[in-house]
Amino acid sequence: MNAGNALFIVGALLCLVGALSTVIARSPIRAAMGLLITIIGIASLFLKLSAQFLAAIQIIVYAGAVVVLFVFVIMLIGADTSAGPPKSGGSVGSRIVAGGGMAVLSGLGLLLLARFDGQPVRFGPAAVGHGDVEAVGGLLFREAIIPFELATALLIVAVIGAIAVARSKARPRPAPPESHESKRLFHGPLHPRDAQRPLSKEPAE
Amino acid sequence: MEALVKVFPANDFSLLAVILCLPLIGAFINGVFGKRLGREGVTLMALAAVGGSFLAAVVSFLVLRQAQAGSEQAARLTYVAWDWLSVSGRHDLGSIPIKVAFSLDALNATMCLVVTGVGFLIHLYSTKYMEKDPGYHRFFAYLNLFIFSMLVLILGDSLPILFVGWEGVGLCSYLLIGFWFTDEKNAQAGKKAFIVNRIGDFGLLVAMALFVYHVGALDWIGIEGGRSRLLEPVKLWPIGNVVPLSSALPESAAAWLNTPRYVTAASLVGLALFLGCAGKSAQIPLYVWLPDAMAGPTPVSALIHAATMVTAGVYLVCRLSSVFVLAPAVMFTIALVGALTALLAASIAFAQNDIKKVLAYSTVSQLGYMFLGVGVGAFSAGFFHVVTHAFFKACLFLGAGSVIYAMHKRIHDTDTSQDMRKMGGMKKYMPVTFATFVGAWVAIIGFPGTSGFFSKDEILLKALTSQIQSPLPGGKITQMTRAGEQTVLELWQWPSWGNQVLFAMGVVGAVMTAFYMSRLVFGIFWGDFKGWTIKRKWKAPAHHDHDDHDHPHHHHDPDEPLEGPAPVESPWQMWLPLAVLAALSLGGGFLNAHLLHLHPMDDWLGPVFATAAQNVTAAEGGLSLVLAFGIGAFALGLGAAYWVYRLQGGEPARAFVERMPGLHRWAQDKFYVDEAYDEAVVESAAALADTAAAADKYVVDGIVAKLTSGVVQLAGAGLRFVQTGKVHTYAAVMVVGTAAVGWFLIAPHAQARTVHQSAGQYGVVAAPGFGYQYRWDTDGDGQWDSEEFSSQMQQDVTLGFGENKTLRLQVKNAFGRTAERSITVSRPKLDPTRGPATVIQIEQQPDGTVRGVLPGQQPTGGVQ
Amino acid sequence: MSALGYVLEHYVVLSALLFTIGAIGFLVRRNVLIQLMSIELMLNAINLLLVAYNRQHGGPMTGQLFAFFIIAVAAAEAAVGLAIILSYYRLKASVHSDEADALKH
Repeated sequence: MNAGNALFIVGALLCLVGALSTVIARSPIRAAMGLLITIIGIASLFLKLSAQFLAAIQIIVYAGAVVVLFVFVIMLIGADTSAGPPKSGGSVGSRIVAGGGMAVLSGLGLLLLARFDGQPVRFGPAAVGHGDVEAVGGLLFREAIIPFELATALLIVAVIGAIAVARSKARPRPAPPESHESKRLFHGPLHPRDAQRPLSKEPAE
Repeated sequence: MEALVKVFPANDFSLLAVILCLPLIGAFINGVFGKRLGREGVTLMALAAVGGSFLAAVVSFLVLRQAQAGSEQAARLTYVAWDWLSVSGRHDLGSIPIKVAFSLDALNATMCLVVTGVGFLIHLYSTKYMEKDPGYHRFFAYLNLFIFSMLVLILGDSLPILFVGWEGVGLCSYLLIGFWFTDEKNAQAGKKAFIVNRIGDFGLLVAMALFVYHVGALDWIGIEGGRSRLLEPVKLWPIGNVVPLSSALPESAAAWLNTPRYVTAASLVGLALFLGCAGKSAQIPLYVWLPDAMAGPTPVSALIHAATMVTAGVYLVCRLSSVFVLAPAVMFTIALVGALTALLAASIAFAQNDIKKVLAYSTVSQLGYMFLGVGVGAFSAGFFHVVTHAFFKACLFLGAGSVIYAMHKRIHDTDTSQDMRKMGGMKKYMPVTFATFVGAWVAIIGFPGTSGFFSKDEILLKALTSQIQSPLPGGKITQMTRAGEQTVLELWQWPSWGNQVLFAMGVVGAVMTAFYMSRLVFGIFWGDFKGWTIKRKWKAPAHHDHDDHDHPHHHHDPDEPLEGPAPVESPWQMWLPLAVLAALSLGGGFLNAHLLHLHPMDDWLGPVFATAAQNVTAAEGGLSLVLAFGIGAFALGLGAAYWVYRLQGGEPARAFVERMPGLHRWAQDKFYVDEAYDEAVVESAAALADTAAAADKYVVDGIVAKLTSGVVQLAGAGLRFVQTGKVHTYAAVMVVGTAAVGWFLIAPHAQARTVHQSAGQYGVVAAPGFGYQYRWDTDGDGQWDSEEFSSQMQQDVTLGFGENKTLRLQVKNAFGRTAERSITVSRPKLDPTRGPATVIQIEQQPDGTVRGVLPGQQPTGGVQ
Repeated sequence: MSALGYVLEHYVVLSALLFTIGAIGFLVRRNVLIQLMSIELMLNAINLLLVAYNRQHGGPMTGQLFAFFIIAVAAAEAAVGLAIILSYYRLKASVHSDEADALKH
């Protein structure tokens, strides 16, 4: 076992252990820690796959922002929220069906993969500069500039949306200011005489 | 003047845009901001818009006069605003650009002056007449919009632009007739005018299509240039080659039925155009809307339904005179319809008591005169009558309005206040109105020296002497057929009796006009006032304010004797236009007084009608005869009316009514034409609508809509219990669905398709799938070719003609499950009835060209 | 065994396992917070797959670009999702997803 294999095994184990503890943990804060472990594992695998830039982004965005956000929310809500007894039946049946179905499906998929005979695909040597900041950054700002800008717009919209959704109770709005003269120019009856009269034949009163 | 010509060159005469846009701006501002502007603002805006437009029209007129001075050619000033669209006609005539273009020549410059000038006077009049109306700004918005539309109509340089204006004035007419729309009767009258006009507009649209097809142009110059193409024969009958079922008839009848019937395209175009003109200008059979249109305010009647809009039909005939003269039959129809309308309307006018109704029928009758004039080819005489009629009829309507305004002081019911039996003796109370009314009256009855005298006698003279020549020498259109040269159409010849008949009808109409107009004037202005008992120092009851139209149903008890002050003269805003118009009615005749050898108008319009005049012949002489008949008719009509209504105090008329109550009732009820139209047209349309409504209600709503909604409702009622609202339920269902799709993807499906590669070579290709392996049985012996599965997806098969072969395919998926299918490949038999197929081979040559080569042929030519 | 980290299939299997864990976690857990974390797990699994295939193909690194945008979208999704959880908690005083059943028949 050389150093490269060790890195892969460590990364893969981190991922699996972290993922399992995320899913199994009773307390959300433990789940968040599990997620953090998974993220670090994935970042190390990115390094192994010579995607240095993405590894950095993975750590910065996921570990630095997303997990911290989760932890914030857990703190806001209170870490022990899952402790209380469920108020409703808990939809046990559908959860079992869904979880079991998903497990069977994935098992079948893996079995399908195992049934393939053929040589495993081995990576060749990576090109110089494959996946470093310069290469990916150049790609981002040349070929992918439009999706990149759209992604920034999406993030801004998401931030505004998040604020709008999470804002506490809406304050009563101030009364609208007195309607301006010119606003009445285009509505109201065309004809002063019509003001008291209905347009149809129905009686006014 | 020089500067003007420099600023506004003839081919980009943007002053036309000024003439057009001012009323449009006025309409917009009054319509949108009128309520905020206040009465003064609205007045100023409306008057300034139309006044400015009038001034611009005067300047344009002067520029045009200078351009035409000393030239035989008709001068034209044009302005192209923008390219609108382009239509493609017959392919040999190319595509036809339609521009938003306007032009000014002698004809529409004159018309433009009349519209803006008379329009301005009537605007001025309306500021007082409509003063107390709550819809003051709305009224002026509509009126300005009308002026704009009318100007588009007369200035438009092509038929489509004219049509835009044509529809615009129709819309304004509708809006203004129904101006007091809260009264059901007025709204009905508006609708009637609108719908009857639609029938005419249909004709105009058909004419446009025919122009596109036959002439390939829609602008005036293009139509005039290509008018000779309208002389081609058009087969009307039979549709197709033979009449269906005609063989069942006796042979002679079938032959008669199957004989092709032709008309010239010019006749079709002319008739279609005349249908449009008859609608807009209220001729038989579409005249019925105009008398009802009097439901609008009186200035509207004066402007739209007397002076301007209703003469649009005459204008259109004059404008396309070069086309109309190609169809003598249509011209004679126009003249005859005009004369008949003149007589019919005059006879109805005898029995009417509502002064506006009398004037309305008089208008219809005078329009008939105009069509009589243009129908015999006297375009400038007919158009001259348009101008003089605009003066005296506007004056008469405004005068009537002035009288009604006075009557309104005490009588607030619209019908009663317009009833001439309630009037009388007004000359004492309203001297200015009286004087001006008399001025217009003498003009319309043709008192020698007045405008009506000159214009009507000119029409009568031309009716007697002028006729339309056949547009082709020989009067025949021949075509080469297999049987040799054949005459397909003999052109219609102007009948020898035609002129005498038309002239006689015109003279009778003139007598009738003189009689009923005199009856009207005597009824209003002479005798004793019968409206109410005049009391000096009478005071209005406190609850009365003068806004009758707010309370149309407010009636006085007819039995209660009404008291009131003496009627008074109208304010200056009302009598000033009257005075101007009366002066024009009296003096306008000298624009075209042929008797005195004074005819600037004819000289002015001459170049416009030069093309048309080539097809018109006018006999010399007849002048003294016409003069005698004209003056005789006037004297007879006036004398009879004076005898009946002044000397005998109306006794002979009453005696006549008593002796022939039926005839009188008949005339009073307008010969029941409206009722006949109701029964024939309206009822059948209503029946059709009822049928459609029933079908909609029971078939569409009942079966289609109810059934589908019922099914959806039922399904919804059942399925809603599936909706638990819990996210886990939905997730479980989704997983199950995903599993089903995954199962489908992985399960083996033995499917194959056959491809034909070349002659006799077929390939059977198995469908690919995830993890699939295949084995084949190609020789059909029930044994697999090899026991092993492989990834070979295709088997090739070679077949002769008419042979077929069956293969078997087995598919195994990644989990060892298999599926089987047998596939039969067959090749069709060679069809002996068809020769060997000719195959064109496409070869690419070394030089890059592609050639099609027939077998056994050297390649010739090539396509790049 | 010598080239454990250089074989594509290993990454594919690992990614499949991660995805399955995430999916089952999402389907089975009732705590909305953990469900959201499971979604992040699934997204990470996909990212891993994309980067692995990209490593095999070399070339223009489109796979890495895609992974980059998925990270961006995941960040946005986390922000909005957590905001929704916050207001849901305010409304129901609970973080159990099966108590959000206002949309039932």
